[in-house]
Amino acid sequence: MSDNNPLRDPFDAIADPTRRKLIRILAEPREIPLHELTAQFDIGRTAVSKHLAILKEAGLVLDRKVGRETRFRLNAAPLREVHDWLSFYQKFWTMNLITLGQLLEEDEEQ
Amino acid sequence: MSLTLTLDFQYKTTIEKLWSALTDPSKLAKWVLNNDFKPEVGHQFQFRGEANQYWDGIINCEVLVVDEVQRVLSYTTAVGPEKHTVTWSIQDLGDGSVNLHLEQTGISNEQALNGAKWGVTQWCRELANLLEQ
Repeated sequence: MSDNNPLRDPFDAIADPTRRKLIRILAEPREIPLHELTAQFDIGRTAVSKHLAILKEAGLVLDRKVGRETRFRLNAAPLREVHDWLSFYQKFWTMNLITLGQLLEEDEEQ
Repeated sequence: MSLTLTLDFQYKTTIEKLWSALTDPSKLAKWVLNNDFKPEVGHQFQFRGEANQYWDGIINCEVLVVDEVQRVLSYTTAVGPEKHTVTWSIQDLGDGSVNLHLEQTGISNEQALNGAKWGVTQWCRELANLLEQ
């Protein structure tokens, strides 16, 4: 799990081919302005912006205003969660084991 | 490559109560999922969760070990091509609390990146490369 507590699951964020392409483009080690990103797609500026917003919610993209333009770059950290299946099970069991603790406590009180 | 998940949790309870939470199907349902578990070696059972777009919600399981003396319980869990072994063991810590140890083995990276499930096989390869940068 990433530290910045993203609003959106990275699994969701990468489910779309346009967003995967965006990530690939943003993997370059520099900040890229919106118009440069848009130039690489057949879809319009608004559509690209929407996809970027979703990636941002998942913590996968960081943006910064420079003058009148917004520049984007990749934050790959949340992708580790997707890459690492282990974390899925870890989450699953940790949640369940916390529930178990509550059940055992209720048991004691009865 | 296969990975193992281990987790340890401590509870203020007795070994008997914890063992019951692991082996009584109605109790299991309260903290894992609905199931038709029986503490009998060879018993095949299912955990049933909510189905979604990627998964019918069913985990197919088979009991491997039920050791009431050593307090060890083990079963396989299979979802699609992923088949794991889950082993629980309980240890008395002597201060009114017990330790529950979970070990889940056989978690394969290959299948973790299984494209059939997520439709992203190629993507995951690129992802792996990306993460290595």
